[in-house]
Amino acid sequence: MKNRWKVTCSAVMAVTLLAGCGANSSTPGNNTAGQTGGESTGTAKTVNLKMFIAQPRFKEQYDSYIAKFVAKEKAEKNIDVKVQMEMPNPDNASQILKTRLASNDAPDIFALHAINELPSFYKAGYVEDLSNQPFASKLLDSVKPSVTLDGKVLAVPLETLSWGYLYNKKIFADMKLTPPTTLSEMKQVVETLNKNNITPFELSYKEAWVPQLFLPLVVGGLMNTGNKDFTERMNKNEGSFTEMKSMFDIVDLVNSNGTPKALETSPDDGAAAFANGKAAMWVQGPWYAETILKNNPDVEFGVAALPINDDPNATLINLSASTSLVVSPTSKNKEVALDFINYVLDDKDSNELFQSLKFNPVATVHTYESYPWVTDAMEYVKAGKSYQDPSIPQSVKDEVGKGLQSYFSKQMNQDEVLKALDKAWKDYNKVNK
Amino acid sequence: MFKSYRKSLSLLYFVAPAFVIYAVFLLGPTLGGMFYSFTDWNGLNRTYDFIGLANFAEALGEDPDFINSLWFTLKYVLVMVFLQNGLALLLALLIETRKRSKGFFRTIFFMPNMISIIISAFMWTFIFTQVMPQLAEKTMMTFLDQSWIGDPRFSFISIIVVSLWNGVGYMMIIYLAGLQGVPQSLKEAAIIDGANAWQSLRHITLPMISHAITICFFLTLNGAFKVFEVVYGLTGGGPGRSTQVITMNIYEEAFSNNFRYGYASAKSVILFIIILVVTLIQIQVMKRKEVEA
Repeated sequence: MKNRWKVTCSAVMAVTLLAGCGANSSTPGNNTAGQTGGESTGTAKTVNLKMFIAQPRFKEQYDSYIAKFVAKEKAEKNIDVKVQMEMPNPDNASQILKTRLASNDAPDIFALHAINELPSFYKAGYVEDLSNQPFASKLLDSVKPSVTLDGKVLAVPLETLSWGYLYNKKIFADMKLTPPTTLSEMKQVVETLNKNNITPFELSYKEAWVPQLFLPLVVGGLMNTGNKDFTERMNKNEGSFTEMKSMFDIVDLVNSNGTPKALETSPDDGAAAFANGKAAMWVQGPWYAETILKNNPDVEFGVAALPINDDPNATLINLSASTSLVVSPTSKNKEVALDFINYVLDDKDSNELFQSLKFNPVATVHTYESYPWVTDAMEYVKAGKSYQDPSIPQSVKDEVGKGLQSYFSKQMNQDEVLKALDKAWKDYNKVNK
Repeated sequence: MFKSYRKSLSLLYFVAPAFVIYAVFLLGPTLGGMFYSFTDWNGLNRTYDFIGLANFAEALGEDPDFINSLWFTLKYVLVMVFLQNGLALLLALLIETRKRSKGFFRTIFFMPNMISIIISAFMWTFIFTQVMPQLAEKTMMTFLDQSWIGDPRFSFISIIVVSLWNGVGYMMIIYLAGLQGVPQSLKEAAIIDGANAWQSLRHITLPMISHAITICFFLTLNGAFKVFEVVYGLTGGGPGRSTQVITMNIYEEAFSNNFRYGYASAKSVILFIIILVVTLIQIQVMKRKEVEA
């Protein structure tokens, strides 16, 4: 009997020991922060700020900016800020973040995709209203709507995108072509290129999100030339994608004048082929700029708006924000978190951050010179030839990618694709009542 | 009485550490998943409702993508179970007949199994998209120049090829072990009785390794139902959803589309039940046919 107790006790001890280890290891930042803070000044307040930005490729840039922020807080408010930065791989970042939030362990500041993630996180109550923060008034008018929901500014945008399709400037210049403004003109461009034995379009449909890009371009263009309330009606189960059937005009044109083996070409392969002049145009965003330049540093390419029909007013650039920073409403250090959020668009230092990240300007304080392809797109934006990325549910975007893949491999016809899209949106409505 | 009680208790103590870890990291989440399959949780909201069997009804009744992936998986399972076991047995028999270089061939055929499946899938992607067309060009074997992973007609073959390449070696080792356990005396007796090679294989070897066959069928059935990496690495389920297997459908439901965790959990429970029933039947049937030496 005695033995039994011994064993039970030791088992219990072992378990508590394990549990203890776990608890300790999760808060080493807190302890060390407290000690060092106490030693150095004695009076300074120590704040442990947790951040979550899923962009490990920019670690250096963020780290140096955070170092500046820490120095600033120390100087201005005598607060010792210890930043615990978490930068998981973007592939599983959203899973990690959700787990954190569900277990009441929300980071003080975290990054969300403004179009895809922000609305659902806002609805679930994980996002603080930032409308009254000083940075809100600095945002460019073209950027602001993508981080605004219900009239509240919810996030500070970092990465913004302005895109249509990419074209090889050298090929266009050699052929004396300019980016077309209507579908008919596009057909002529394609003809000229074909005559000169240049493949007009690079096709890289291995990953479903690439053919998916047609949808926001077409829906955006059509919504801005008449069909204004399309997404609204879709959300009420009152619309149908048959209204967007003209999408296939441009899709067919691109598909039938593209590079071979599209379904086996990954976007990275596509970037390499495009960089080396294998095709004159690529329906893709400038977020592949880095990959393209890596493959061929001398290539000159521009961004232009994709014509979807013969109305030149529907040929528009898509403007949207992706990575954006939000503050958790449950943050214990909200004051410091808000300071950081405002510091991101600081009058002085912000320019450098955005420039080093190669992001587009998002605020009036940004005065640096941007890349040629950004300038191209900004021309369109300045001329009013742009639109806010329509808020299409992620599941519908996934569906259109898969649908267009199937359409390309002739397993689905146009009506089947459109029907599948209608169903996907209805399902979305059902789930997100 | 007391003695046996103490004995099982001490056994329990020894098992406890492993069991605690198993319970916390496997049993707990599994039961949790089953619990969520009755809810409409989306993985983010703090609240969710119990909706009874609605998820199951939707999966089996109104979800053509799920049903399609189910059929595709069944097709894959059927082809895999027979080809994988057939080839593995054939290889094992061939190696067994060799007097020398047994070890060499065993290593060669087992090697692909040591590469992680996802990596072999990426390797083969390269072979299918880059090497095959080149090969076709250089050797005039134009039939090799197909859209191996982009065309739904061929991508099934590609998936099977890679799965077999990766999986046959392991089954072969089990069969080899079984073959080595066949008593030499029985074979010799058969030869003396005038049995030819085929007869001795059919009536001596196969019955004697039937336990290995049971295990291999169990493993291949189980594994083929849960196939994910090969398809993910090669085609990503595409083009469209033409090569989507159940696990991938579940993954898509939970992590990409509408984040319907509850619904995806229900689908996993369905998959679990299918595997359970099928393998139970398989073991029942095959166990009955096993013989002892």
